[in-house]
Order: sequence, then C-alpha cells, then structure tokens
Amino acid sequence: MQKIIEIKDLVKIFKDTAQEVVAVDHVSLNISAGEFTTIVGPSGSGKTTLLNLIGGLDTPTSGSLHVDGKDISLLTEREMTTFRLHHIGFVFQAYNLIPVLTAKENVAFVMELQGRKKEEIDKRATELLEAVGLGDRMNSRPSKLSGGQQQRVAVARALASKPKFVLADEPTANLDSKSAENLLDIMERLNKQEGVTFVFSTHDPRIVAKARRIIALEDGKVVSDKSV
Amino acid sequence: MNILRLAWKNIWRNKVRSGVILSAIAIGLFAGTFLLSFMQGWILGTVNSDIKTQYSHVQIHNADFLANYDVNAFFMREDVENEIRRGVARNAPTAEIAFRLNLNGMLASPHNAIGVTAKGVFEDEEILVTDVWQQIPDTMGVFLNDDTRMAIVISSRVADRLRVRLRSRIVFTFQDVHGDMQSIAFRVGGIYRTTNAIFDEANVFVRYSDIFSYTGLPEGAVHEAAVLLPDIETSNIVAPQLREMFPDMSVQDWSQMNPALSMYFSYTKFMGVVILGIFLFALSFGIINTMLMAVLERTRELGMLGAIGMSKRQIFSMIMLETVFLTLLGGIVGIILGIAVVLPTMETGIDLSFFMEDQFEDFGFASVVYPILNIKMLAEIVVLVILAGILSALYPARKALQLKPLEAMRQ
Ligand SMILES: Nc1ncnc2c1ncn2[C@@H]1O[C@H](COP(=O)(O)OP(=O)(O)OP(=O)(O)O)[C@@H](O)[C@H]1O
Ligand SMILES: [Mg+2]
Repeated sequence: MQKIIEIKDLVKIFKDTAQEVVAVDHVSLNISAGEFTTIVGPSGSGKTTLLNLIGGLDTPTSGSLHVDGKDISLLTEREMTTFRLHHIGFVFQAYNLIPVLTAKENVAFVMELQGRKKEEIDKRATELLEAVGLGDRMNSRPSKLSGGQQQRVAVARALASKPKFVLADEPTANLDSKSAENLLDIMERLNKQEGVTFVFSTHDPRIVAKARRIIALEDGKVVSDKSV
Repeated sequence: MNILRLAWKNIWRNKVRSGVILSAIAIGLFAGTFLLSFMQGWILGTVNSDIKTQYSHVQIHNADFLANYDVNAFFMREDVENEIRRGVARNAPTAEIAFRLNLNGMLASPHNAIGVTAKGVFEDEEILVTDVWQQIPDTMGVFLNDDTRMAIVISSRVADRLRVRLRSRIVFTFQDVHGDMQSIAFRVGGIYRTTNAIFDEANVFVRYSDIFSYTGLPEGAVHEAAVLLPDIETSNIVAPQLREMFPDMSVQDWSQMNPALSMYFSYTKFMGVVILGIFLFALSFGIINTMLMAVLERTRELGMLGAIGMSKRQIFSMIMLETVFLTLLGGIVGIILGIAVVLPTMETGIDLSFFMEDQFEDFGFASVVYPILNIKMLAEIVVLVILAGILSALYPARKALQLKPLEAMRQ
C-alpha cells in the first residue's frame, strides 16, 4: 500500500517556564492509504500532540513529517491552512460544527471554502449525510441533534473535502457507549467501502477493538505497534 | 458568498445582545437623522425668511451708501433698472426687483422717540419682493395700498414702544440732502410683526411718493435696489454676474448682508456631521464591545474553523462583515425611523414657540421649523455609518485573527 504519512524521528518539546515536556519523543512510523488505525495510551502520553503534528496544526521541534511525499514542516502558516483544507479531514472531540448552520450546510461549508461547484457540493453533502445515517436530519441545526448525531455530521464534514486521510482525536469521548460504537461502525464502513484512511485516538477499549492497527504511546514514545 | 451568509446568521446567535446594540444604533441614528434635518430646516427656514422679509437675495447700492447711510449716496432708478432686468433675465426670468429710499431718522410719538430706517417704497413692486405685507394681521391695517394719506407701516414692537395704535399720528424726523432737519407727520396705516425682532424694531415703511419731496433728491433717485430670486442657488450664480455688470456700485448678496447668518448656514451643515460623528463614535464603543464578546465567546469555534481550513483572511472578513451588517442594519432602521418621523413634519412644521415662547424670535430665528431631508444628507449619514461599522470592526476582527487554531481549541 502507498504510504501517505511518513514520520521520522519526530520530536515535540513543550517549554514551560518551569520545565520542558517531551510530548512526542523520537517517533518514527508510516501510515498507508486505507488504514484504520488507532493511537492509544494513557493520559498525557502524547496522542493529541502527535495527531496535531500530523494534521499540521502544530510544528515539530525536530524530525521530519511527510504527507503524500511532501515535507509539511516546510509550509508557511497560510500554505498549511490551504493544505489542511484540501488534504486532511478533522473530527474533534467537541465543537466540530458551526451552530448557526444546518447539518447539510456544515458539510457543505468546507467544500464551499474549497471553491467547488454548487451542484457538486449539494450532491456530495446529501450523499455523505445519508452515508452516516442522517439523511432525514439534513436541515437540523447541531443543537437539535444528539451528541452522536453531531459527531456523525463531523465525520461527514471531514470526508466532504475528499481528504487523503481523516484525523480524529477521541471522537467518541463525549458519547455514550452505544453512540460511540455506532460512530465507529460508520467510520469502519466508510473505510472499507470508500477506502477512507482513518487515524484516531481513544481511551475506550471497545473502540480500540475495532481498529486494524493499534499504535500505543507512553511518555511520547511508541511502545507497541500491532496490526490485527 | 457563503461567508456573507454565515456572517449574517452569526449576528442572530445572541438575539438579546444583538438586539440591544441594534437598538442603540437605531436610536442614535434616528436621533441623528432627526437632528440633522431639523437643524438644516431651522437654519434654512431662518435664512429664507430673512431673505424674504429683509435682505432679498441681492441688493445694489451706491458704492458710498453703506459706509454711513448718506442720503446723498443715491443712484437714479432709470439708469440701472433695465440693465438689472437684463442681467437677471437669463438665469432668473421670474426675478422681482424693488427700489427704495432708505432714510435714517427718529420716529416720535407723544410718549417716546426711537431711531428707525424709513423705507420709501413703491408699494406695488415692494409686495412682490418682501413679505412684510403678509405679516400684517387682518385687523392691523394694510401695506400702504389704501387711500390713507401719509400712511406709515410700523411693526407691533415699534408700536408698543411708541405706545401708538392703528391710525395714530407719529412724526418722522430726518436730515435732507442739504443737512436740514425735516419733520413729517404720518398716520399709522398698518402694523406688522415678523419673526425677527431686530428687523421689526428698525424698519418702517412709507410711500416713495409721500416722502420723496422732503428729501431734496431729484425725482427717481433711490438708495437701494433689492432683487428677489427663486432660491439661494440661483443667487449664487446671479450675484457675481450683477457684480460684474455694476463695477462702480455695491452689489451684495444675502450672505454678505448678513455674514453671521451665512456662517450659521455653513456651520450648521458642518456641525450636523460633527454631531453625528460623535454619536457614531460613542456607539462604536458599544459595537466594539459587542463584537469582542462575540469573538471571545466563539474562540473554540473560530479555532475549529481555522483547523478545517478557513483562512485568516476569511475569518477576518467574516467578523468584519458581522460588524458592518450589525451597524448598517441598526443604522438603516434608525434612518428609516427618522425619515418616518420627519416626513410628516416637513409640511406642517414643528412649532417651537409652543415651549420656547418668543426667545427664538428675539434673536431673529424662526419659531416654526420645517425640517429638511435631502438625498445628499441621507447618503452622507449612510456613509458615516458604514465607516463607523468598518472602524469598529477592525479591533474585534484583529482579535479573531490573532487566535491560533490549536490554542483556541484547547481553551
Ligand atoms: N501546549 C502545551 N504546553 C505545554 N505542555 C503541553 C501542551 N500540550 C500538551 N502538553 C503536554 O504534553 C504531554 C502530552 O500531552 P497530550 O495532550 O498530547 O497527551 P494525550 O495523550 O492526548 O493525553 P489525554 O489522553 O489526556 O488527551 C502532556 O504532558 C501535556 O501536559
Ligand atoms: Mg488528548
């Protein structure tokens, strides 16, 4: 499989006034197209920091990070924003959606930022919301949706831009176990049927069980990397 | 386009907060619109009523006359009349001209004596140029056009000071061309009252034909030609032309005859804009505060928008647009309210004497104000509002710009 993320000796050090925290400590790993990978580890082990680095939301202290063969640590802030818009899908733990827009408008929003054609946007937003099982809630605002439904809209939104991969930092953290499992099932199906690459972090063992590759972090280091 | 729509929707997130600031802007602009149209109406009303009552648009005198109102500084009516008519015909075919003698002297009754200017007028042409005749109440006689012999028209203020009434006899004393004192007995034929106390106390009217023979001037001699034009704009064109035609005479337009009034006129326009500017300046603090709250409260969301690929420029524009929409919306509501209140009063006027009594008239201002709305003024207001919106938007929008997606989301 084609490598879409290549990480070599990646280090991220946070310098506080008092001390230095090595949040990501010489991490090297590759992620290929079509993976369904989870990053696990105790609190403070560096999951979020690593995902932020991969997603271009933060810059590494040292090491190299190639996405699709491109060294993204060389991009300017503005180029990075454009890169994220076109190549990376994000699902955050919360505050994913714009509250004044409907589910469909939220999904359409990224595509509008990309400058796509109106008919294409309309068609794709509808398809994606149907794919996450929200065909009947397209015109609801986020406040009228349950937490699980909101996260499903977020997944649809993350896919809307046709990204190389989707990063999800604890997407189920705020969900009850049933909704969490449901969200993972949807992600899994999109991964299998559409070939979307997912990298997500979690604390939840039942969610971990659904991943096909499990990367475990401890103190910023990769301590195990198992494919199922 | 989507950012425009998003900005619009964002305004309505916090309906109470937006409602409060919208109301503040609307009230401010309502007051501003009303005040501007009121001030313009007030000053233009005062200017026009002064023009109609005393100055006319243009006055022509012998070059020496205005220095000390010398009886000898006259000119011959027949020498200039046709030329003046020709001069104004092109730009103001409906212009009216009145010729007068101006005689300074004492007006005396058995009780009192006061200094006045007696205007020796041709009553038929005078009534076409000035409106003093219209300001004589029905029971207070007429403007020289009856068969009262040696009639004099005085103001009610003069009548009060001399303690005379209609048909009372009063004596006017002045110096003729030879320096001899002439005393002439007149009978009060009309009592007028204008809104300008200063004018009223200084001016009395007699027939040219009655007073002329006492002056020692040649027949047809006058001191003053007054030209009434359709409006101030025409006057601005015609006055310079007349000045060129009569280089040896004094040609003044209304603004030169009453520089203070003309200054008020310009300053009122200027002050209106300044006052509105101050209103908007004060309002902009409210706008900035509201938008700053809106930005800070949405920190996480703005961070998320940056993370998913909305550029800083787009985020900046979104906040700018929200602010401008808010300001413009409030502004337009306020202006429309202002127009709605002003429109009906443009015809009927607003009567200030109701609570101010004669105080305005004592200073020569009209007491009924007809507010004026004009497109240019409204356009100026809208431009000021947009400007205020943009300026108040800058700070909150910059704040939004400083947010780093990651830090914003971590909060
Ligand atoms: N902005 C920051 N400044 C300073 N230290 C930070 C910052 N972000 C993270 N850290 C530190 O880096 C380490 C890794 O944090 P990170 O959030 O990546 O862990 P995590 O595995 O995501 O934990 P959790 O499961 O609690 O989300 C922690 O010790 C944390 O305190
Ligand atoms: Mg984390």
